[in-house]
Amino acid sequence: MRVAVFDRFEFLFSEALVALRRNTWMTFSAVTTVAVALFLLGGLGYAYMGLSNFASSLPGRFEMSVFLRDGAPKEQVAEAARKVRLIPGVKSVQWIPREQAWEQLRKQMPEVIEGMENSYPEQLKVTLNDLDLASEVASRIQMLESVERGGVRYLNDEQQLLSQALKLIRWLGFGVGGLMLLTSGVLIYNAIRLTILARRREIRIMQLVGATRLTVITPMLIEGIIQGALGGLLAGLLLWSSHISFERVISNFSVFGRVAPFPVLYVCAVLVGTGAIYGLVCSSVAVREPTRLKFR
Amino acid sequence: MDSGVGAEEKFPYIAFKRVEVRYSDLVYGLRGVDLEIAKGEFVFFVGQTGAGKSTVLKLITREVKHTGGHLIFNGKDLAAVRDREVPALRREMGIVPQDFGLLQNKRVWENVGYAMRAVGATRREVRKAIPELLEKVNIGHRGDAYPHELSGGEQQRVAIGRALINNPPILLADEPTGNLDPAHSMEIMELLLQLNLRGATVLVASHDMNVVEQVGKRVITLKEGQVINDEGRCV
Repeated sequence: MRVAVFDRFEFLFSEALVALRRNTWMTFSAVTTVAVALFLLGGLGYAYMGLSNFASSLPGRFEMSVFLRDGAPKEQVAEAARKVRLIPGVKSVQWIPREQAWEQLRKQMPEVIEGMENSYPEQLKVTLNDLDLASEVASRIQMLESVERGGVRYLNDEQQLLSQALKLIRWLGFGVGGLMLLTSGVLIYNAIRLTILARRREIRIMQLVGATRLTVITPMLIEGIIQGALGGLLAGLLLWSSHISFERVISNFSVFGRVAPFPVLYVCAVLVGTGAIYGLVCSSVAVREPTRLKFR
Repeated sequence: MDSGVGAEEKFPYIAFKRVEVRYSDLVYGLRGVDLEIAKGEFVFFVGQTGAGKSTVLKLITREVKHTGGHLIFNGKDLAAVRDREVPALRREMGIVPQDFGLLQNKRVWENVGYAMRAVGATRREVRKAIPELLEKVNIGHRGDAYPHELSGGEQQRVAIGRALINNPPILLADEPTGNLDPAHSMEIMELLLQLNLRGATVLVASHDMNVVEQVGKRVITLKEGQVINDEGRCV
């Protein structure tokens, strides 16, 4: 039984290899385009994660100060804190009483505020769990009645820059990477269509003698999987080599510290898996239309 | 006129009842064809190009679907056969295409072996079955040759050998002598007659009237998609 299964797989796999050899240039184009697409998506994803981690290490990051209206009673403060906690993107809310804030300032600059009265309003320290939601969270907090006009302060310039960089990377990833992925999908599709054309005689014979549809299409699905997986592997290796080059450049500037190690096996496995699934999807679309597989 | 050695069974193996194949409003493949073929018969379908003889064979192999009437094959209504059941149906028959359909980059035994593996045979089963199969069609001595090294008649023998891989009870050949000279044509007919002698039902579409007359079996003549003559029918 096991021999028969192995024998069957060997037949289907060898059929796929024959097709790959026959369409060498088409295979090459499909594999390299998948590689570039996954390199862009994977590389930008990796950069995004890196920047995101860097952003999370910045002091005061993801924090927002909310100043309430003068003389807001404690019940109103508690109510505002409760409402802020319910806003999506808010991780936690901490109430900083005006006395506590004033006391802190008095400790830091006693001579400056000597003789002055406490002019601080009640304050909420809001911690976010998503930097990108900051502006939306801010505007929703601002809409609360008890919040002072212009009383929401958040993100310094560095964080704004980081946020913009993250947005740019995401845009590039979805835009350019997505476009490349679409192109590579079309190339895999074309490669499979060419295989059908080049192997129409074999397909016809298979159909004449009563081979099942699964037998006819499986080699083509394997072909798509191999193209996608090879593209993924190539993308992983490209990413790895880019990371090594980046690491070398960064090591010249001690101010940045050490670059986190590149999880080469993990990244390659993810990209190969993604490529293989993508190849399978594209080849499935290519063999879907049964009439095109018919002979004559 | 004898129409087949094993044609003694009374119920029709294949029955066409008012079968119609309509490609468009004005173009018909077949128009109301009625015919019955018994198991073990040897039947020729003759007629001019476009008469519908190939369509008859393609209906049985389900390369074409009929648009009207009923078509029964071996007790099955072919209208009820779903697309995914067509491979199983084709394993019940041997199909010999007009152009041989051989793979030029494979040797004779590989051509037959490839078809066997496509329907699930293991390497071992292929190795075991090939010599007998090739001998059955008298091509065993050319097993290692490539198709381009063979004569037309030899290529047709390989195609017939390949059609026999599922040991089918029926063989359908579309113009099997279309590309052959008279001597080779008769060779192929003799091979088909031998297979018929062993019990196979043989259906042949042909326009080669010399060969048809020499073989002397049942001849169904088609014209513009209709049966206009049926000679030598087994009763």
